[in-house]
Amino acid sequence: MKKPLIVIVNTVIMAAILVFVVLYSRYESRDAYQRQIENFENTTVTMEHVTENYLEGEQRICDVWARYINNKAMTMEEAAEYIRSSHVLENTSAHLISLETLTGLSTRPKQGTADDYDISYQRVGLLEDVSWINEIGAAINITRSYTNPMNGEQSLAFCNRVSLNDPESDTITDAVLMRVVPVSELEEKWVFPQAEFSHAELSMIDANGDYILKGYSFKNSSFFEFYRSYNPTEQASATALFDRITSSTGSISMLNSHGQECILAFAPVTATAGWTLLSFIPAKDLSVKRENWLLTGVVSAGLLILFLFDLFYMLYFNRRLQVAVREAESASKAKTDFLSTMSHDIRTPMNAIIGLTTIAEKNLGDVGSTRDSLRKINLASNHLLTLINDILDISKVESGKLKMSPLTFSIVETVENLVNLSQPMVKEKNIEFFFHINRMEKEYLYADQLRLNQIYINILSNAIKYTEPGGRVSVDMREEESAAPGCVRLTYVVADTGIGMSPEFMKTMYQPFSRQTDSRVNSIQGTGLGLAITKQMVELMGGTIECQSEQGKGTTFTVVLDIPVADKQREDMRLDPIDALIVDDDDVLLETATDTLESLGAAVEQARSGLEALGMIVHRHEAGKDYSVVIIDWKMPDIDGVETVRRIRAEVDAKIPILLISAYDWSDIEELAKEAGADGFVSKPLFRSTLYDKINAVIGAESKSIEPEEDYSDLAGLNILIAEDNDVNWEIISTMLGMFGMTSERAENGRVCVDKMRAAAEGAYTLIFMDVQMPEMNGLDATRAIRKLEGAWRSSIPIVAMTADAFSENVTECLNAGMNGHIAKPIDIKLVIKEIRRIKEGRS
Amino acid sequence: MKKTTCVVLAVLMILGLTLCDFTQLRAKAEEGFQPSLDTSIDCKIDVIGGYSNFEALEAEFDRFNEYYPNVKLAFTKIDDYNNMVGTILNGNAAPDIYVNYSWMYGREPYKASIDHAEDLANPALALDLDCIRGNIILNTDDGTLPMVPVFSNTYGMLVNNDLFEKEGLSVPTTYPELVAVCDAFREKGYESPMMGFSREETTSLFTVTIYPFFCGTVANDAEAIKKLNALDPSAGEYMRPSLEKIVQFLDDGCVNLEACAEIENNYDAVILRFFEGDVPMMTCSGDTVSGTKKREERSEAFIANPFTYTFAPVPMADEGAYFLDMPNLQFSVNKDSQNLDMANEFMRFLVTSRELNEMALNKGLVSPTKGLSFNSMYAAFGDVPESRVLSPEVFGLTDDAVKQLRQAVYGVGIGAMTIDEAVARYGSFE
Repeated sequence: MKKPLIVIVNTVIMAAILVFVVLYSRYESRDAYQRQIENFENTTVTMEHVTENYLEGEQRICDVWARYINNKAMTMEEAAEYIRSSHVLENTSAHLISLETLTGLSTRPKQGTADDYDISYQRVGLLEDVSWINEIGAAINITRSYTNPMNGEQSLAFCNRVSLNDPESDTITDAVLMRVVPVSELEEKWVFPQAEFSHAELSMIDANGDYILKGYSFKNSSFFEFYRSYNPTEQASATALFDRITSSTGSISMLNSHGQECILAFAPVTATAGWTLLSFIPAKDLSVKRENWLLTGVVSAGLLILFLFDLFYMLYFNRRLQVAVREAESASKAKTDFLSTMSHDIRTPMNAIIGLTTIAEKNLGDVGSTRDSLRKINLASNHLLTLINDILDISKVESGKLKMSPLTFSIVETVENLVNLSQPMVKEKNIEFFFHINRMEKEYLYADQLRLNQIYINILSNAIKYTEPGGRVSVDMREEESAAPGCVRLTYVVADTGIGMSPEFMKTMYQPFSRQTDSRVNSIQGTGLGLAITKQMVELMGGTIECQSEQGKGTTFTVVLDIPVADKQREDMRLDPIDALIVDDDDVLLETATDTLESLGAAVEQARSGLEALGMIVHRHEAGKDYSVVIIDWKMPDIDGVETVRRIRAEVDAKIPILLISAYDWSDIEELAKEAGADGFVSKPLFRSTLYDKINAVIGAESKSIEPEEDYSDLAGLNILIAEDNDVNWEIISTMLGMFGMTSERAENGRVCVDKMRAAAEGAYTLIFMDVQMPEMNGLDATRAIRKLEGAWRSSIPIVAMTADAFSENVTECLNAGMNGHIAKPIDIKLVIKEIRRIKEGRS
Repeated sequence: MKKTTCVVLAVLMILGLTLCDFTQLRAKAEEGFQPSLDTSIDCKIDVIGGYSNFEALEAEFDRFNEYYPNVKLAFTKIDDYNNMVGTILNGNAAPDIYVNYSWMYGREPYKASIDHAEDLANPALALDLDCIRGNIILNTDDGTLPMVPVFSNTYGMLVNNDLFEKEGLSVPTTYPELVAVCDAFREKGYESPMMGFSREETTSLFTVTIYPFFCGTVANDAEAIKKLNALDPSAGEYMRPSLEKIVQFLDDGCVNLEACAEIENNYDAVILRFFEGDVPMMTCSGDTVSGTKKREERSEAFIANPFTYTFAPVPMADEGAYFLDMPNLQFSVNKDSQNLDMANEFMRFLVTSRELNEMALNKGLVSPTKGLSFNSMYAAFGDVPESRVLSPEVFGLTDDAVKQLRQAVYGVGIGAMTIDEAVARYGSFE
C-alpha cells in the first residue's frame, strides 16, 4: 500500500473516530439538554401548581371576607373596618369600590396621610367592566398588574362582588371587594426553587397575551407582541403557536430581545380564566456540557500521537527498507561485481595453470622449460589458493562467522615465517627490506596465530607488492606494556616507499574488492579483499589499524593489538659471560641487537662496517681477548658480511665463532659463506631467543657446520590409512607420502575406513588422514565410529582431517568429532609432514 | 512552494481581516458612547411612564446593556400616570427615571414630579443637550432643566403618497393648493379627500388643522398671549381668524364631516380608516402616527393593498404650513435615586442624536433632535422654514388657553355654535 493511501486511510479512521466521539458527545448533550428542558417544563408546571395554590389561598381569604360582608349587610365603612380588624399582613390591603362611582374606601390610608382612606379607580381602567368577577368561591378573580392608587405600587387584586348597605339611601349597592397584594411581594416568592434555574423568569399572561405579571426579560405589553418582535413568524403559525401556548403545557425555543436563544415553558393556570404561566430561561443555562472536550481532546491527541508515531515509524521503517533495498541492490551489484571479479581473478591464474600445463606437456623433453612451467604453475596455483582463501575469509567476515581460534604460538616463528614468506618477492623486486624488532621479550602468546599471520602478511605483502623495484620496505615490530591485564601490546608498523594511495581511495580501501584505479596497480595481482579482511580481523582481535599514505611517496600501516601472553614461556635465557661483537651498518639494528644481547648477559661491542670489525677483532686477538662470538650483517656497503668473514678468517687464525645475519634467504650465499668460514646464519629480525639459541649453538659446537639439510628418515616406514573417495586426491597424497618413505592404504569412504580399522592388526597404521565429505559414511561419522571401536589402539588412533572444508567451524567440528588435527586442501606437504611429526611425537 | 505560499497568504488575509475588524471596532468605540462608570456594576434602573408598551425604550435598554451588561433596566406602565407619578415618587417604589411633562411646571398637583427631578442642565452630567432642538428644551423659571424631551409631537396629516402619485397630484404646501387638491380628488370620485377624528374635541381634526394656524396668528403678539393665558374673555377675538379659517376650510369642501363622524376614536380608528386606502389625507397628531406601523398588520385592507404614506403639516395658511413643534415625552431623573450615577449614565447614553433618533424611529414619533430628515415619515416637517416652526411653550401659550381654543374651534367646526358665540365664550369654556 502506498504511503499517501496509508496516510489517507489513517486520517479517515482518525476523523471517523473523532466524529463519532464528537457526535456521541453531542448526542449525549442534546439528550441531556432535552431532559433539562423536560425538567424545566415540569418545574414550570410545579410553579403553576404553587402559583395556583397561592392564588386560591389569597382568593379564599377574599371569598371569606366577601361572604361575611354579604351576610352582615354591612356598610362600606363597616366592611372596611371588619377587614381592617381581621387583616394583619403589613403589605397587603383591601379596597371596597362602589361600582356605581368607582370610588370607595381602602383599609390602609393613602400614602403620606394618616386618615385618608378614600380611593378612586376612575382612572385605573380596571373596574369599568366587572363581568370577569365570578360568584364567590366559583373561581379566582384576579386583576392584571396595576398601579395601586393609594400608594402607587404595582399590585394585583383578588376580587369579589359584594353588596353593601348605603345608610343614606338605605339601599343595597354593588361594590367590589379587592384584596390588594403588591407585585413585589409576589415576585419575592415567585422564584424557581432549583439553583440551576436561577436565571429563569416568570410571567403570567391572559388569553390575549397581555401580561398579568411581567418578568424582566419579557418585553412589550403583550407576550405575543414580544414574541413577534424578536421572532419573525408568519401570522398563521404565530396564531397557532399562541393558541398552543395558552391552551397546553410544553415548551418552545425562542429568541429574547438580545437575540439569545431561550426556552419558554408554559402551563395554563387552570384555576383562572385563560391565564398562562410562562417561564423563560436562556437556553445555555439548560445546556449540559456533556461534550467532554477533555475526552475529545485526549482522544484527538492520542490518535494524533498514534498517527504521527505510526507515520514516523512507517517513514523510519520505509527508510530502513529503502536502505535495505539499496543494500540489497548494492549487494546484488556487489555479487555481480564479485562474480565478475572472481571470474576474472580465477580465470587469470587458471589460464596460467592450463596454459603452462599445455606448454609443459609439449616440452616434456626440455627439462628446463618444463621446470620453468611447473614453477610458474606453482605460483599461479598459490595465487589461486590465496584468492580462494580470501574469498572464504571475506565470506565469513561478511556473514559474521569469522571466529577466532586462539592457541599458544611463538611470535618468533610467526615473524620468521613472515620474513620467509616475504623474501622471494623482496628478492625478486630487489627491494630494500628492513625488519626491526624492539624488546620482544614474550615469545609465546595466546591468539589465533593463523589470523595474526594473515594480518601481518597481508599488510607486508601489500607493501612489497606496491613498492617499485629499488624501493624500500621497513617493518618495525615492538612489544609494549598493555593496559589489558595479561596482555602485551604488539605494534606492527609497515612503511613502504611505494605508489601510495589517493585520499579518495583511502575512504573506501577497507571495502571488499576495493583496488585503486591505477595503471601501475592493474598490473599487480590482487583480489581487493586483503585489506577488508585485515581490518575485520584486527577489529575482531580488539585492535586498531591505521594508515597514512601519500600518493607517490608511500604508505605506512600501523596495527596495534593487545595479545594475551601464553602461560608457557622460555625459561630464563642467560648466556655465560661472553664478549660479542655486532657488525652492521644499520644503527637501529645495532641498537636493538645490542640491547637484546646485553639482556642475555653478553658484553657487546659494535662495529659499523666490516673493516672496522676486522680491526677490532685483530686488536682483540692481539690482546688475547678474542670475542666469544662475532655477529656480522651480510649486507653492508663497503665489504659485505661474507667478505668480512673471509678476511677475519684470513687474518686471525683463532676459531672465533661467526654468525652471519641476513634478512633474506641465505641459500644463495650458503656455499660461499661456508667457504669463507661462517659458522652459522641468523635471520633478521634478531629475536632474543633466536640469538640465544644460535650463540649457544656456535659457542657449544664451535665450528659446527651450518644446519644439516632436512632429514626425513624418521618418517620412513610409517603406514598411514587415508580415507579419500576422490581418486586424484588419493593419488596425490599417497605419492607425496611415498616421496618421504611412508606407505599408505586407501579407504574409499568412511565405512570402509571403519571396517579397515576394525580389521586391522594393532599398530598397522600410524595415523589416519580422513576426508570429511565422502559417500556412504562421512569422515565425521567414521571418526566417531572409530572412537567407539574396541581396543585402545583402535579407538585412540590419531585421525587428522584432510578436507577442503577449511573454515574454522569445520575445524572445530572435526575436533569435536574426535579428530586430532586438521589439514586443509589443497595440501601443503610441508604442513602434512609437520603434522605427522607432531602426531608422532605426541604418540611417543 | 505553492503550498507554503498559500498558507502564508491565508495567514496574511486572516491577519488583515482581523486587523480591519479591530480597527473598525476601535473606530466605532471612539465614535460612540464611552462608559464613564465601572462596566461591571450590577444594579437595577426602573423607568416609569404612562405608555402601555415602550419597546423603543426597551431597545435602548438592550443597547445600553452592551456597555453595562449587569444593569437591569425595566420600564413599568403606571395606571393614571399623570396623577400617580407624584405618589410613586414619594413612595417606597420610587423609580430612577420617569416620564415627565413640561405642562406640569407650576401646577400644584404635579409639584412632586418637578421637585423630584434632577437638574439635567448640570454640566457635570455631560448630557449632549445640543443635539436637541432648542425650542423644545424647556427650562424652569429658575433656569434648571428638570426634564429633557425624548420625543416631540406635532399636528399634521397622514398622506397616502400612492394615491397622490396615482392621481398625478402633489402634496399641497399652501392652503390654495390644499383646496385645489381636495377639489381634484373629489372630481376623481374621492368623497372625502381629507378626513379626521371629529367625535371629541381632543385632537379633533379641527384642532389638528387650526391650532398651528392659530399659533401663527398670535406667536409674535405678546399682548395677545398675555390675554389668552389670562383667559381674558376679550382675548376671544384673537381666535376669530382661526375660527373663520375653519369655517372656510369646511366650506371649501375639504372634509366630509359625516364620513369623519364614523371614526370612533382618535387613534386606532383614525389609523385603520386611513389604511382603507381611499383617503388621500388624514389629519392626526404625531402620537397617532406612532401607532401606524403596528397597525399595518391589523388592517386587512392595508395588507391586501399596502401603500406608502408620510406625515406632513396641514397647509392652512396661504403662505404655507406651520410646524407646531411640541415636546411630547420628557424624561426626568429622580434625584433621590438609589442608583443616581447609573441613571445619569443612562441619560448620557440616551441623549444623543443617534439614540434619540433611533428611539423615535422605533416608536414612530418625531425625534427631538435637530435633524428630521433621517426619518422619511417626518421629513416634510424638516422642509418647513424656521420662521414657521412654532412652539407654544416658547412663546408662552399655556395649556389652559389652548383648551379654550380647542373647544371653540370644535364647537364652530361641528356647527354647535357660531364664530361670535365661540369668541364670546373664550375663558368660559370648561
